[in-house]
Amino acid sequence: MTVALATQLPAPPSSPAASPKFSPASMKKRRVEAATTPWMFAGPAVFLMVIILIVPILLALYLSFTNYSLGVIDFEWIGFQNYERIFTRSSFSKMFTATFIYVGVVVPGSIIMGLLAALAINSLTIGRGFYQTIYFLPVMATLVAMAIVWELALHPSIGIINRFFEASCSVPILSDFLAMEWVPFVDSATTFFGHGCATGFPNWLGDRTTALPVLCFIGIWQAVGFNMVLYMAGLTSVPRELYQAAEMDGVISPWSRFWLVTWPMLGPTNVFVITITAIRSFQSFDTIEALTRGGPSKSTYVMMYALYEKGIKQNLIGMAAAITIIFLIFVFLLTMAQRYFVERKVHYS
Amino acid sequence: MINRSSLPMEIARHILLLAGAAIILLPFLYMVSVSFKAPYEIIDNSGGFFGAQIPMLDELCSITAKDVADCMMMPALHNYYKALIENPLPRYLFNGIVVTASIFFIQVIIALPCAYALAKLKFWGRDFVFAMVLFCLLVPVHAIGIPLYLMLAKIGLLNSYAALVIPWTISVFGIFLMRQFFMTVPDDLVDAARMDGMSEFTIVWRVMAPTAVPALIAFAIFSVVAHWNDYFWPRIVVTSNQNLFTPPLGIREFRNGIDGNQFGPLMATATIIVIPMVVAFLLAQRRFIEGITLSGMK
Repeated sequence: MTVALATQLPAPPSSPAASPKFSPASMKKRRVEAATTPWMFAGPAVFLMVIILIVPILLALYLSFTNYSLGVIDFEWIGFQNYERIFTRSSFSKMFTATFIYVGVVVPGSIIMGLLAALAINSLTIGRGFYQTIYFLPVMATLVAMAIVWELALHPSIGIINRFFEASCSVPILSDFLAMEWVPFVDSATTFFGHGCATGFPNWLGDRTTALPVLCFIGIWQAVGFNMVLYMAGLTSVPRELYQAAEMDGVISPWSRFWLVTWPMLGPTNVFVITITAIRSFQSFDTIEALTRGGPSKSTYVMMYALYEKGIKQNLIGMAAAITIIFLIFVFLLTMAQRYFVERKVHYS
Repeated sequence: MINRSSLPMEIARHILLLAGAAIILLPFLYMVSVSFKAPYEIIDNSGGFFGAQIPMLDELCSITAKDVADCMMMPALHNYYKALIENPLPRYLFNGIVVTASIFFIQVIIALPCAYALAKLKFWGRDFVFAMVLFCLLVPVHAIGIPLYLMLAKIGLLNSYAALVIPWTISVFGIFLMRQFFMTVPDDLVDAARMDGMSEFTIVWRVMAPTAVPALIAFAIFSVVAHWNDYFWPRIVVTSNQNLFTPPLGIREFRNGIDGNQFGPLMATATIIVIPMVVAFLLAQRRFIEGITLSGMK
C-alpha cells in the first residue's frame, strides 16, 4: 500500500523514487515478482520433500497391508498379517532382541565413554587437541572399510587380537594379570583369558555368543568420538561462576562438583546425545551386513538388516514395508520423548 | 582451568586417555601395517610395522612375463599396485567423487533459495512449508529406503547415478540450518540490495550465499562425509552394475572374493578409501568437528 502511494506523490528530485528503477511499471513488476518468487524458491524443495520423504512413508504404510513383491503383478490386501507375523514369528522376535541389545549396549556405552573422555580431556593442561583428534578419527572413517579391518583383526587364527592373547598366555606376569589371578576369589581358569589360554580364543564373529557383543563394541568404538565432541561443547557452556559458587558453598571434591553442578547443567546435551545416538544405532547396518549378515543363527539380525534382507534380497516388499513402519514409529517415539524432556526444561538455567 | 588438578591426577588422566587412544587407533594402525606386508608376514604377524619389504613374486605377472625377475616387487608396492591397478578402485573413487559432489551441489541449489524464502520473504503458505521442514527433519532417509527403492525401480532408475543421488537431493537439514543462519542476516542488507535493483534471484546467490560461507562449509563437510562413507543406500540401488560402485561397495566386493593371500591388497584398498577423509580432517580439524556435529548444534 505505502509503495503504491509513494509512486503517486510528486517525489522530490533527489529521492530514490524518482529513479527509473522505481517507475510505476517496475514497481508493478516487482509486486508480481513478490507474489511468485517465494514459491519459485520454496517450490522445488517442497516438491522434493513430498516426493522423496512424505510419499514413501504413505507408500510404505499402504504396502505394509499387502503382500506386494516387485515384478509380481497380482498382490492382495492382507490386512494386519505382516504385522502379525512380525510380532509372532521367532525370526522377528530375534530381530527385536538383537536390535534392543545393540541399542541398549551402544547407547549407554558410547555415551558414558564419550562423557568420561570429554571430562578427562577438558581438565587436561596439555594434549587436549591430540586426544580430541584421535578420538574423533573413527567418526570420519568409512565404517564399512573399518569393519573389514576389524574383521581381519578379529580373525580367529591370523587376526592380531587372538594372536596377542595367545602370545600373552606364555608371558608369566601379563598372563596372570589378564587371567585375573590377582583378584581374590576368582578362579583364573574360568576367566575369559584363563579359559582362552587353555582351550583357544573365540572365533569372534562366527560364534553366536560373541558376534553381537563384537558388533556392539565396534558401534561404541565408532560413536565415542562423536559423543565426546558434543559433550565438550556442552561442558564449555556451563557457566564458570557456578563452579566458583559451589566452591564457596563447600562443594570441593570433584565427585560432588560433578553431580551437583556439571551433570545438571548438561541436561540439554544429555537429552540430545541420547536421542541422536539411539536413532543412529537403530539404523546401524554397515557393520552387520559386512561382517555377519545377521548371523550366526540370527544373533545379529538387527532391524535395518532385516529390512534389507526382506525387501531387497527376498523381495518381500510388503513385509519390509511393515518393518519400515515399525521402525519409523520407534524414531518418532524417540523424538517425542526428546521433545517432552526438552519442554520439561531439563536445563536448569 | 576450573579444577587446577594435581600432577598425579593429570598423569592418571593421560594414562586412561592413552589406553583409550590405543584401542581407537588399533584398527587404523593395523590396516596401514598390513597394507605394507607380504602374505606370509601377515599370517605369522612378523616383519614389524612396515614389514621386511623383501621383494616378492607377483603370481599373475609370472604367468605372462618372460623373465621372473621382472615380476619381483616390494610387498608394499605390490599391495597398492594390486589395489589400484588390477582392481577398478580408481573407478570406484571416481564414482564416489561424482556422487558426493553432485549430491552436495544439488542440495545447495535446492535448499538455499528455500531457506531464503523461509527466512526473508513473506508469502502465503510460509508457515506451512516451515512446519513441513520441521516434520521432515524427523524422517531418516535410510529408514524409508524400501519404498524409495520401489519408486526408483518403477521408473527404471535402479543401477544409475541418478538412483545414487536423487534421494539425497533434498536436505531438510540443510534448509533448516540455512534458514536459521539467514534469520541472523539483517533485513537492511536485503533491502539495500533491492534498492540497488537486484532481483530476488541475484540476492540469493550474490548477497545471501556469500554471507553464509561458514555455514555452507560446515554443511559441505557434513554432507560430503556422510555420502562418501554411506554404504546402505548404494548397496540397495546398485545391484548389478559394478561400474557404478562407490568406494564402500567396492571394498565390500573385493573382500567377498578374496583368498587368504590378498589381505595386503585388501587393507591397501581400505587405506586408500579411508585416507581422503582422514587427511582432510587432520588439515581442517576444527571445521570438520563443527561440520560433523552440526546436527548437534540446533
